[in-house]
Amino acid sequence: MSRIIGIDLGTSNSCVAVLDGKGQPTTLAGLDNERTTPSWVSWSSSGQVTVGTRAKRQAVTSAAATVYGVKRLIGRKVNADDVSWFARLAPFRIVAAPNGDAWVRIHGQPISPQEVASHILRRVRQVAEEALDEPVTRCVITVPAYFDDAQRQATRVAGQIAGLDVVRILNEPTAAALAYGAHRVTGGRRLVAVFDLGGGTFDISIMSVENGIFEVLATGGDSALGGDDWDRRLIERIVDEVFDSHRVDLTGIPMAMSRLREACENAKKALSADRETVIQLPFLANDPHGAPINFERVVTRDQIDALTKDLLDRLEAPCRRALEDAGLTAGDLEEVLLVGGMSRWPAVQAMVESIFGRKPSKGANPDEVVALGAAAYAGILAGDSNDAALLDVTPHDIGIRVGDTGFAVVLPRNSMLPVRARRLFATTHDDQKFVSIELYQGDSSDVTENRKLGQVVLEDLPPGPAGSTRVELVITMDVESIMSVTARELRTGLETSVTIRPSGGLSQREIVEIINRRRQETSVVSPLPMEGGMVRVTTREHAVTRPSDEKK
Amino acid sequence: MPAGLLSIKLRCASWQQLATIYKRDLSRGSMFLRASAPPPIGTAVRIDLALPSASVIVLTGTVAQHRTDPQRGSGVELELAPIPSQTIWLIESALEAESKRRQTPATGVATGGAPGGGATGELPAIGQGEDLVAAEDELIKALLAEAESLKKLNPFLVLGVGYEASDADVRAAFGELTKRYHPDRFARYESAELRQVAAEIFILIRDAYRKLSAETGRAQALAALGRAPAPRAVPLRAPTPPPVAVPPPRPAARQPTASIPPAPSTIPETIAIPKLRVPEPNDTSSAASNAGSSETPTARPSQPLPIPPEAQRTQPPRASTPGRSGALPTVPIPSPPSSSQGIPRVPPRTPSQGIPRVPPRTPSQGVPRVGSDPAPRASTSQPLPRTSSSQPLPRLDAPSTDHRPVLATPPPVLTEASDGNPIDQLLEQGKFDEAILAAKVMAKKFPSDRTYRAAVEVCEGLRYLALRDRLEAAQRFESALEIDPSNERAARELADMRRQATNERKGLLTRLMGKKE
Repeated sequence: MSRIIGIDLGTSNSCVAVLDGKGQPTTLAGLDNERTTPSWVSWSSSGQVTVGTRAKRQAVTSAAATVYGVKRLIGRKVNADDVSWFARLAPFRIVAAPNGDAWVRIHGQPISPQEVASHILRRVRQVAEEALDEPVTRCVITVPAYFDDAQRQATRVAGQIAGLDVVRILNEPTAAALAYGAHRVTGGRRLVAVFDLGGGTFDISIMSVENGIFEVLATGGDSALGGDDWDRRLIERIVDEVFDSHRVDLTGIPMAMSRLREACENAKKALSADRETVIQLPFLANDPHGAPINFERVVTRDQIDALTKDLLDRLEAPCRRALEDAGLTAGDLEEVLLVGGMSRWPAVQAMVESIFGRKPSKGANPDEVVALGAAAYAGILAGDSNDAALLDVTPHDIGIRVGDTGFAVVLPRNSMLPVRARRLFATTHDDQKFVSIELYQGDSSDVTENRKLGQVVLEDLPPGPAGSTRVELVITMDVESIMSVTARELRTGLETSVTIRPSGGLSQREIVEIINRRRQETSVVSPLPMEGGMVRVTTREHAVTRPSDEKK
Repeated sequence: MPAGLLSIKLRCASWQQLATIYKRDLSRGSMFLRASAPPPIGTAVRIDLALPSASVIVLTGTVAQHRTDPQRGSGVELELAPIPSQTIWLIESALEAESKRRQTPATGVATGGAPGGGATGELPAIGQGEDLVAAEDELIKALLAEAESLKKLNPFLVLGVGYEASDADVRAAFGELTKRYHPDRFARYESAELRQVAAEIFILIRDAYRKLSAETGRAQALAALGRAPAPRAVPLRAPTPPPVAVPPPRPAARQPTASIPPAPSTIPETIAIPKLRVPEPNDTSSAASNAGSSETPTARPSQPLPIPPEAQRTQPPRASTPGRSGALPTVPIPSPPSSSQGIPRVPPRTPSQGIPRVPPRTPSQGVPRVGSDPAPRASTSQPLPRTSSSQPLPRLDAPSTDHRPVLATPPPVLTEASDGNPIDQLLEQGKFDEAILAAKVMAKKFPSDRTYRAAVEVCEGLRYLALRDRLEAAQRFESALEIDPSNERAARELADMRRQATNERKGLLTRLMGKKE
């Protein structure tokens, strides 16, 4: 059996790692020597797909056909608030699929985020195969702990399309804790918090680590809050300024937006270390008179902090709630681990310090630690290492709809997996013949704000006055977040079961179609120039040589 | 033993080897052993022969002759002392069982006597694939058996902690179990069924952990078992009159119990049955057993649903009923352990069961039910009394028809806390024969009390365990449970043995897969 690789599929950057010969996790770099791959995918008009740094560079010239941040779209509906915001500022089109999912439209073609992500995964897989010099088919992919089942399943589907067997979907904070803690399996119980602020998502996990057992006590977060939002504030501010001074709306000019986005991201990164920096964008756009706008502006850290104060504040509530759910106070924790690029931001670190009352630890490389943890976990699953066990939890309440908008929780959040929970319900009408049980996942007490997972109907109920017929609902959830639900009427013992694996957004048929379509196309995936200008292009199925086409 | 006794340890790697030794050597009363430096003639020798089942047979003999065997080289011929018939019986039954299991005539081995010291592999080499599948099937069976055992135990026993365990103890025990039984440990195997069974076992374990991880939870669980937390008051034991006719020996004799768990006071589970009727006692158990739902502190106020059934989410104390403890007061006799001889429970039970409450007997009688076979329960469970309740939902969780992998709350078995129990002390000191005798004496004295007969079986089982004869020990524990299903010690020992069996299966399977375990 091939080795299982650990993949951190990030909003901005992806990384792959594996256990080396000595059982230590190590990140892999492909022939281009890059340890992380930007999560960018670009399509040429002829359908060739480019992934990674090359795609990012192409973004400037073909902004409308280059997708970034697909993690914000995967498994989500297009009418979600943050998706709408994203759609407003992204140079590429975001559209609705028939079922309401958020898809992108490139060159007039609607493409699902699962498929976009699958390109990234294929590239990452290629990196691994190059580094290991052996075929790779199995992987562990990390997702934010706060991802709901739809998002998780959509990520699995992306792996499937990429031809990978996704052995497990692992939570990022847990992976990070494993990577941090793998070296310190000394005795004694340690309570730690993992504060993971990445490009697009925020997770906070409170964990207990003792003797190699990583037990998640509580988890919280915001799956629509990340470094990109900081960028976005600056971008919006500049768009407004340019509009005020030049009467030009940059959002209608994809190339300008693309350049502006990149400049703002770089400025933000620079401002983690420096107090001020300059953004220079010559020939950004033309004003209504046709004169070129050469944009130049000093940006300071304080300005960004002023623009993003509310984002900082949003970091606090999930942390407090997680502490409460875990039954702990900030003082009980021994350490706070920082994960994710945005955790480098000084104001964020200050906020962490104020919430938890201690300076956070920044030991490992926040960009790679999640992939390293995934690789360590892959080793555990494969049976190559036995010294650690992860006990993760379900992040959101799971329950059913009662009445019109009521949400009755059956399986509360932060329950250690695997778990079985049961609850009794009764009929609401006299002589009710059947009961339709709709399962939802979410934290709102209004069921319409939660995510529907599935439905089970129990028929042939014995007659009786309302409230007399009782139905027991048992929900069992395993470590892979696969749920089985059984509804049983108590008097007759009649029961019905269903296994719920939330759809990944694509039907099986659609997935197969995508894979077949891929087989026919040959895709250029970061081709390497060879001598004489020849380029070897490899897909899983074919090896084709064709003249290099650098200028794309 | 006199100085100069030579102690030799041999190990049979396979049943074939044992059969060979048995037929070739033991039946003649002698044995040949290779030796490069043969000890002088007349040296007393003791051989510890370890069987493939990890039991050990002890043989004694003297060096009779130095000779050179044409096949095996030079060595000594030992003249063996007469082998106890019990040992012979043991070997024969083990070989028979093994041959039945393999469905190949074990006698075939006799012809292949050549091997001599050759250690054949533990499994016939039929081919990697089949080995794996067979090994997986065995592991599945072992796991299922373990799940069954676990369901019978109370949370303390499931985790393997004492009743006075601290938070750290509980966590450590849980950690160890996690490393062995977490579904991730089984992710490497192909069979989906295997992973499912593993998940079931782990659910039982984590529910027990959830119940016991905090002090309050432990107190509740103890109350549910009818024990007072911390101060295990010996005085409480004293009274235990149950056996109407037999007053006293209680304190001393009665409590041999460590191995003879007094009747499981209540089968809360049985209480479970008439749940509807008797809301209170159930509270704790169902709520407690509802680990899944009541686990986190996140309080979800019951939704004001048209659907009454709120029940489960709230912690036991909530309802008027104090749970088990509620039941206790009814007991005329001071509650906990001894009293638990079922007396307390009598009241609740009677109505439902209509079982003649014979004080001492009661518990045990009630007990069989614990074994958890659906049948009796189903018969006794009343149809949901419509009338009964304004009380919304009977936290009915134990389904009467029981084929679902239910969070069955195991029978609260009272046990332990045996201070000053003479039989226990004997057992602890390793004086099994005396313990057995003492237990037999007690059994004779109280012929109607099953617990003593069960105690006899348990003591014998423990002795076999000490002799490393797991086959026999398991049989004894099983019969102890048959006699007295409430015997906690037997259930626990069996669970431990099954656990060990599972580990061995798992180890074997993993080795077959070429991984380290």
